Amino acid sequence: MKVIIHDLDRPYDGMMEAKCDRMIAADGKYAPCQGCFGCWTKHPAECKMKDKLNQICRVIGRADELVIVTKNLYGEYSPAVKNVLDRSIGTSTPFSTYRGRQMHHTLRYGKHDLWKVIVYGEITEEEKATFRYRAERNALNDGFERSEVLFLTDLTELEAVL
Amino acid sequence: MKTVFINCSPKKRFCASAYFLALQRIFVGGKKVKETLRTPADHTRILEQLRDAQAVVFGLPLYVDGIPSHVLRFMEKMEASCRENDLHFSVYCIANNGFIEGRQNEPLMQSFEHFCTRADLRWGGGVGIGGGVMLNVTRILFIVDIALLLVNTVLSAVHTGNFFPKDAWISFGENAALLLYFNLGVLFYLARMGASIRKGSFFGKKYTRILIPSFIFILFADIFFIIISLFEGGLFRGWLAKKEETLPE
Repeated sequence: MKVIIHDLDRPYDGMMEAKCDRMIAADGKYAPCQGCFGCWTKHPAECKMKDKLNQICRVIGRADELVIVTKNLYGEYSPAVKNVLDRSIGTSTPFSTYRGRQMHHTLRYGKHDLWKVIVYGEITEEEKATFRYRAERNALNDGFERSEVLFLTDLTELEAVL
Repeated sequence: MKTVFINCSPKKRFCASAYFLALQRIFVGGKKVKETLRTPADHTRILEQLRDAQAVVFGLPLYVDGIPSHVLRFMEKMEASCRENDLHFSVYCIANNGFIEGRQNEPLMQSFEHFCTRADLRWGGGVGIGGGVMLNVTRILFIVDIALLLVNTVLSAVHTGNFFPKDAWISFGENAALLLYFNLGVLFYLARMGASIRKGSFFGKKYTRILIPSFIFILFADIFFIIISLFEGGLFRGWLAKKEETLPE
């Protein structure tokens, strides 16, 4: 399954939906993660908050290919996109293991294929390096085989790289 | 000198970030202001505090290899506010993660550095701490040890008239030394960063962890989650299952 998370305006929804099996509009209309671990310990892979991200773990967990379209913010995802990712830690289990010679959580949904990040907005070379590093770390942490980061100079380039 | 310590944990109680910030405050002099950043309602109040600050210390957990979203929202506003008010104080960071390797905080540290560049603030550096949750538990264990010592002292005084039960004190000393040992790496780097904060100098990025072997850490972490999941009921609700999305009827 191909999943796209994006923080662009609603007119882009149609283009995104045509390119994937499931689209998540990161519109900021949801609460930030409260760090309660309830999606591990109380109601597995489900958030205690009953908003549109309540079962986001169960969607992202099924993604073979996850495409994230985000505006750059200090080499980080935009707050709206990061909010979606923060709420998705239930894609893993609370148990720990070693991956890439470091401690990580075991994967509830097994291995995935591609963690792809498409970044738009003004960005420095240093922030680009951080984004590449971050995507590698995210892929390792979430059990994706590979990561890819693309930087757009203009949003007209987006459709071709989705 | 005024230093603002911002606890960015979304948790109201018992958060590791509050623990590490409390330790950091020991090593910083001058006026110390404690702030908590949980919701947008906190933004204006914190930004007001920053107007006459010389240093700011962020204490925050690592979320998905990065900065929690509610902190990013604040940083966007803080960048605009600092530029508008021509502020150029130093920024330090104490990041902690649940995994044992403190180095896993590196992407977060890099983003803080980029934030300082864009906001024209002085990046002072930070400490990345592995095993933050378990280190936070050590402070609870220390309080339990003190309580046990008090109980033993009272019982000894009542039964034998001895106000200094030697065995209880030895046991307390052993436990306290062990807990101190677990925290030594953190204390070492926070003391050094405290010196940099006092001088307003660059500290750099340092990484440390709870001082126990990782395979023992993982064992304890797994036991911790089994116990919590047992009490919260998740253990009986398909704890490790591949849960399917349930659509509204």
